[in-house]
Amino acid sequence: MNLIIKIAWRNIMRHKGKSMVIGVILFLGALLMTVGNGVISGMDRGMQKNIVDGFTGDALLVSDKQESDNVFLEFMGKSVAPINNFEQIDSALKAIPYVKNRLPIGKNFAVALNEEGGTMDGVFVLGVDFKEYFNFFGNNLKLIEGALPTDNTKPFVLVPTGWRKQSGEYYSILFTPDGVTPDTSTLGKEILDRMSDMTYKHSIVYMGMNTDNSTTDVRVPVKAIVKYRSLNTIWGNFPILDIESYRQCLGYFGAEEKKTVVKKELADLLSSEEESLDNMFSKEATVAPVTKSKILSEGSLFVKKDTVQSSVDLNAGAFNIILLRFKEGSNLEKTVATLNKDLTDKKLGVRAISWKKSTGMIGSMAVLIKTSLFVFVMFLFFVAIIIIVNTLSMAAIERTSEIGMMRAIGARKGFIRSMFLGETAVLSAVFGGAGILVGILIVNILAAFNIPTDNDMVQLLFGGDTFKPFLSVLDILLAVVQLVIVTVIAVIYPIKVASSITPLDAISRE
Amino acid sequence: MNIIEIKGLKKDYALGKTTVHALRGIDLSIEKGDFLSIIGPSGSGKTTLLNVIGCIDFATEGSVKVGEREITSLNDRQITDIRLHKIGFIFQTFNLIPVLNALENVEFPLLLMKKHSRGDVKKKAEQLLEAVGLKDYIRHKPAELSGGQRQRVAIARALVTNPDIVLADEPTANLDSVTGASILDAMREMNRRDHTTFIFSTHDANVLKYASHVIKIKDGLLSKE
Repeated sequence: MNLIIKIAWRNIMRHKGKSMVIGVILFLGALLMTVGNGVISGMDRGMQKNIVDGFTGDALLVSDKQESDNVFLEFMGKSVAPINNFEQIDSALKAIPYVKNRLPIGKNFAVALNEEGGTMDGVFVLGVDFKEYFNFFGNNLKLIEGALPTDNTKPFVLVPTGWRKQSGEYYSILFTPDGVTPDTSTLGKEILDRMSDMTYKHSIVYMGMNTDNSTTDVRVPVKAIVKYRSLNTIWGNFPILDIESYRQCLGYFGAEEKKTVVKKELADLLSSEEESLDNMFSKEATVAPVTKSKILSEGSLFVKKDTVQSSVDLNAGAFNIILLRFKEGSNLEKTVATLNKDLTDKKLGVRAISWKKSTGMIGSMAVLIKTSLFVFVMFLFFVAIIIIVNTLSMAAIERTSEIGMMRAIGARKGFIRSMFLGETAVLSAVFGGAGILVGILIVNILAAFNIPTDNDMVQLLFGGDTFKPFLSVLDILLAVVQLVIVTVIAVIYPIKVASSITPLDAISRE
Repeated sequence: MNIIEIKGLKKDYALGKTTVHALRGIDLSIEKGDFLSIIGPSGSGKTTLLNVIGCIDFATEGSVKVGEREITSLNDRQITDIRLHKIGFIFQTFNLIPVLNALENVEFPLLLMKKHSRGDVKKKAEQLLEAVGLKDYIRHKPAELSGGQRQRVAIARALVTNPDIVLADEPTANLDSVTGASILDAMREMNRRDHTTFIFSTHDANVLKYASHVIKIKDGLLSKE
């Protein structure tokens, strides 16, 4: 082996020109691959962090009746099934040690009515208890106009810049909080050019859409214009309503209804069997028996009708999704699997899904981009392979005398193969290794700069509001493996050429 | 005892659409320890005969035995191993590995054999280089040596494996007469000392006085003188 490496190294030094051509190709290929891996990994990490920290949490609970896992971005999908028993689920979650925090939210499709005539486009709306929302996500919303809700603010809608821009561009309606001048920096050129055509609106009428057609129209005042701090291009089309307005909009029985103090007689009446109600109107009126009854509206399914409360408990109403944060260091997939087992045992009627599944394509975007980059770099490597094959084959033919003489004095074909492989391996290790090291250096330097961006599209590329390329050990190993593959592929044909040289070829050449 | 037995050896080459009959039917026996010279004009078949004996080229027809082994039926690996263990080569021009120094060139066949320790390999190579008068040049690369010095390195390398046969194709062709004589002296000395069989081709009549036997070859046929 020492002999092969020695000959390989000296041949590299002897044929410096050819070695440099091959070396530079390997260096650039490895550099590109490493930096590309770093950028994509950074984007992947950034996107994961920003999606998890700013919108979905680590995992979600959805109703067992919910068919699709893609509860956030399934545009043509059915409405997200309601969760009726959050209080019961919440009690169970508090006993699960790896669940750090939870946030119940409503999420469904609604249509914004255009009071000037017709409807506007449909939009996914979120319904939240803003205090809980803030506790869960922290400062993930940047206030553009107006004021964020306080504990007692309701009803309200927080209009994100993306959806406001869309309304302005397509329907010439500009939503603003009452008494606030629009911040023109978020409107875009098209709206700014037509500012005089814009109709200013300070409230929105939403008509919820669900499978039961039990929705109602609800008018909500625009409390604030907000921007999601990260990935606003995606989340900027999700207006946030207070949970009670949301429930009303979607036709869910809200927590407010539970606040009503019901007289004993009325409570008895409400809980009467249908047959008993008939009896009340019969000639032989009798006192209705107090038994369980069917409730007429979908909303009433979500409230214990015998509960009499004096204050609003928002958790008592309906939700669609419960967002979860796990404790630090939890393995996402394993924890979701464990949680599902725990939930099944407790028969709570919900199941857990990872954030990746809940966001459909967005969750897989990094993988797609990574795959695309991999294919692109492999194409570059393919070109590199052709150049290297050509250069090495020429080198083999030029060294016919030397190889033929080695064969004449007893070197087997295997030795010649090893010698060529050794030369390419040394080149690959030196230049490709240098490419990887320089790539690691560049990635770390770029990461240290913490390059920020407020641009929505660039945020998509960055995976967040900061450019933070990152290389894991796996990414570096991937680059090494790719380098090895290129080396092996590139050397196959030249080895065949070199090992087929006979001593007679050398003599003939002389 | 014959170390080489050749019977009915023919070798044809295709040259475009014509066939060149390089060897037309050679019968030859060479004894162990012989110092044999093959002479003949250019194109007579000297080099072809040496190449077939040295397992570098293959017979079109006939039988060639090196030692006790019929080489015409062996595969590439077996042939290569015979070249490594039984035969030493001294070529006319292409002779040394350019990236290795004199010592490393001589060590090369021994390292291929993988039978000796690193220390033994070095010691043996140094001894042979000293024997051919290159003690002071062991770290020199081929490009830093004269033609004669390179041939001496080639002789040392040909002998380092203690081969049964050393084949030399016009070993003095590119050398001045003094250097050529010293090379032949060195070969003759080793022939006497180790009973190594030397077979060399030459045009040079001055070389013939070193030979114990001379074979004349013409038009692919030979006559022993």
